[in-house]
Amino acid sequence: MSLQSLIMNLQKYWADQGCYLAPSYDLEVGAGTMTPDTFFRVLDKRAWKVAYVQPSRRPTDGRYGKNPHRVQKHYQFQVIVKPSPADIQQLYINSLTSLGIDLKDHDLRFDEDDWESPTIGAWGVGWQVMLDGLEITQFTYFQQAGGLEVFPIPVEITYGLERLEMFLEEKDNIYDLKWSEDVSYRDLRYEEERQFSEFNFSQATVPSLREIFNQAEREAGRLIEKDLILPAYDQCLKCSHAFNLLDSRGAISVTERVKMIAQIRALVNQVALKFTGAGGAS
Amino acid sequence: MEFLLEINVEEMPSSHVRTAIEDLRDRFEKELAAAKIPVKELRTYSTCRRLVVVAELAEGQEAREQIVTGPPKAVAFAADGAPTAAALGFARSRGIDVARLEIITTEKGEYVGFRRIEKGRDAAEILARIVPQVIGSLSFPKMMRWGEGQLRFSRPMRNILCLLGGKIVPFVIDGLASSDTTTGHKIRSPQKIAVTSFEQYRAALKEHLVTVDAEERKTALLAQIENLLAPLKAQLYPDPELLNKLANDVECPLVIMGVFPELYLDLPLEILSTAMREGQKLFSVVRGRKQLPCFLGVADMPADTRGFIQKGNERVLKARLEDARFFWEQDLKLSLKKRAPALKHVLFQEKLGSYDDKTQRLKKIATYLCGKIEDCKDAADVAMAAEYCKTDLVTDMVREFPSLQGKVGGLYARVEGLPADVSQAIYEHYQPVGLDDESPLSLGGAILSIADKLDSIIGVVGVGVQMTGSSDPFGLRRNAQGICKIILDRKLNFSFPRLLDKVLAVYGDKLKRPKAEILDYGREFFLNRLRYIYERRGYRYDLINAALGAGLDNISHSFLRVKALDALKASPQFEPFILMAKRVNNILTGQPACSLNADLFVEKAEMNLFSTFSIVRENVVPMIAKGDFAQAQKMVFRLQPGLNQFFDSVLVMDKESRLRKNRLALLQAIRRILVQMADYSQVVVEGEQPAAKK
Repeated sequence: MSLQSLIMNLQKYWADQGCYLAPSYDLEVGAGTMTPDTFFRVLDKRAWKVAYVQPSRRPTDGRYGKNPHRVQKHYQFQVIVKPSPADIQQLYINSLTSLGIDLKDHDLRFDEDDWESPTIGAWGVGWQVMLDGLEITQFTYFQQAGGLEVFPIPVEITYGLERLEMFLEEKDNIYDLKWSEDVSYRDLRYEEERQFSEFNFSQATVPSLREIFNQAEREAGRLIEKDLILPAYDQCLKCSHAFNLLDSRGAISVTERVKMIAQIRALVNQVALKFTGAGGAS
Repeated sequence: MEFLLEINVEEMPSSHVRTAIEDLRDRFEKELAAAKIPVKELRTYSTCRRLVVVAELAEGQEAREQIVTGPPKAVAFAADGAPTAAALGFARSRGIDVARLEIITTEKGEYVGFRRIEKGRDAAEILARIVPQVIGSLSFPKMMRWGEGQLRFSRPMRNILCLLGGKIVPFVIDGLASSDTTTGHKIRSPQKIAVTSFEQYRAALKEHLVTVDAEERKTALLAQIENLLAPLKAQLYPDPELLNKLANDVECPLVIMGVFPELYLDLPLEILSTAMREGQKLFSVVRGRKQLPCFLGVADMPADTRGFIQKGNERVLKARLEDARFFWEQDLKLSLKKRAPALKHVLFQEKLGSYDDKTQRLKKIATYLCGKIEDCKDAADVAMAAEYCKTDLVTDMVREFPSLQGKVGGLYARVEGLPADVSQAIYEHYQPVGLDDESPLSLGGAILSIADKLDSIIGVVGVGVQMTGSSDPFGLRRNAQGICKIILDRKLNFSFPRLLDKVLAVYGDKLKRPKAEILDYGREFFLNRLRYIYERRGYRYDLINAALGAGLDNISHSFLRVKALDALKASPQFEPFILMAKRVNNILTGQPACSLNADLFVEKAEMNLFSTFSIVRENVVPMIAKGDFAQAQKMVFRLQPGLNQFFDSVLVMDKESRLRKNRLALLQAIRRILVQMADYSQVVVEGEQPAAKK
């Protein structure tokens, strides 16, 4: 199986479960959780089912293309189902079976691993799903987002697509994976990893990153005032990515780190409050 | 009648399962006792997906005799003893024969009435009320909700099997109705299974690949491990915590063995075993202290028929070891010394600054301690260890395996060729992690560990972080226990209050709480930790309170005081002496300090007491200074006859103020010696009301 058929299989499987197939979001994010299709949709009361591929950037994980399984950008397959159905674990297990994994020959385990993202004020309870010792999925029942309790409770299933594909292809090196029959992960991603690692660690200009951070922070605050919370949230995501790049440049001091995370979280919290209507008169 | 409850939950953490099982047992025993349902036997079983209670219960509450009273005797019976209309009416209204009426004597006089046996309520009815209450009351360190339910639990609850005598006990919790079914192994046998009794349940689950008894699973794991390791003459690198976790996490325990390329054997055992444990939860296989190129893993499967589980784990482990080797080689390219400046960017605590700030403090505190501890020969080594002990926080290895902090620094220091004492002190400076962990073997490690932990405690307390109940975000209790354990294990002697002063001084003006408040808090904090440690070692709580009542001048001494009291508690002199000491205390309560003048003694008894006391004092003072409290205690016993005689024949509260004050002064001098040994008022003597347990 190739990565693209893995993606198509998962899309087909979750669409059959009633998920809407969202396109990937067009801003840099650290995880699928941060895109509006998850962040806003877990906050309100409405039932929601969505599945999408999200490129996720973690600048500090860059290894110049030299590490066989660590990359500064990877692809997540994100599923949100709200409220979480009683048979959600079985639905997830069936999704693996639908990929042709014969689970009677493998060891599938739900291993305690709670998830939290201080930047967007979110946490949940759940597991890392291990398949023969390989972590292939993060499985989380959301409890809070944007600093607010969520209800009904959404379940988030985040497949690590490269991990899963490495399992399916029995490969040891991420760059050996097939994206399609003719195109390899190396063809598509190696040069990108090399160049972006150089950018993340050495070339990104610290003063302009700080300026981007400050600008986006100001903009977010201003947009919140004007009740333009969707664009305001985009600005929060820009803050978050600028912060991650500053971090990979080693440019953030101790006190600054705490302060910057708190700044983003406060903005995200205001966005969440306005979105849920708890933010007072507008 | 057999009661069977299985709460079926999505995979719970092993710590949650352990406390839930204890809670279930406690609550059921309590609730059933309160409901007056006799319990013959109550057992519990568990897996990560099942909390199981089995009990043999009576069919219902025991029958009770009840007395129903009617009209007064005088009204109910005529003079000739025949029942009146009132009696007949009462009997009729209650549906009984008038012949059953009898005379009942109450506080208010004689009445007619009858006795009837009230049948108790059925256990089923009572359980239908109790079970949902008990389940709803379980609490976990972290609770969650799911779906649209309101219940908070460890993980989502998916089925509740609840039977009494094979029949469903009907109730609904958060929309989930009790049932008479369970399910088998999650992957291999997820279908519903009808249940009628515990034995049938247990056997059916076995057939569906679930062993419900955690001990049985653990025994099976150990037997399989033994079978695999015996031919290799190898052992597991011990990890009882991991073994317990895995015995909880799998319902169908299978041990698999895998191998990895020998080239990774160049890595230290600590790193190999951590790379195996974290993430994949694998066991390291050793012969003696030497790692073998293989591992054991635990799967939740009946067999690895096609070898996929082994192969998969080998592939993942190889990647992890490759990472570890990469980190090892990369990290060694930059010496600890060159890494040190990067600590400025690592936060220790928001208001206390970075790990570089901490390092500067550690150097001063550790150097101070070296000066106060006799055997500490090389203060320069300890200072160097302090300088570098935190630098491994900025290595890739510790970023990857945070649990290896300290150890990694020690290993790198050794490879770099720093003095052996330095690398060992760095290696050990987080030890002991808990009371069951080993203290550092080296004195340098011990000193650094004390300095590091005390710096954290004083700093965190000093910026006003409150510890309440179970909330202890910086692990300060564990740190304080670690300090006490090291001091007690190594029998270190130094002034604890002066060390506290030193740490405060090193912090300078960084701490916003007033110094006196921090010191008070710190002292009370350590007293409580010591109380806990001594109780854990089995000493009587009142002796502990008495010993700690003498103060916290020297932590080793506080333990010697407990031991001395404990050793002497059975001696015939002990209790009379305690009573005497209390008498001295009582008479001195509220008295101002008086000065002693030997020329003012008039009675023989007071002169005798004074001269015995002078000799005793001369002997006891150096004993106390050395911490030889057992000898000192025995010496102090010699005051007993003199004190007896004194109280028998001398009137302390003499009319004449000069004599009275002089006698009080003598007793005050005696008390000043006694309080250095123990606060005897805390000792509970048989026949006395015990003092409230602190």
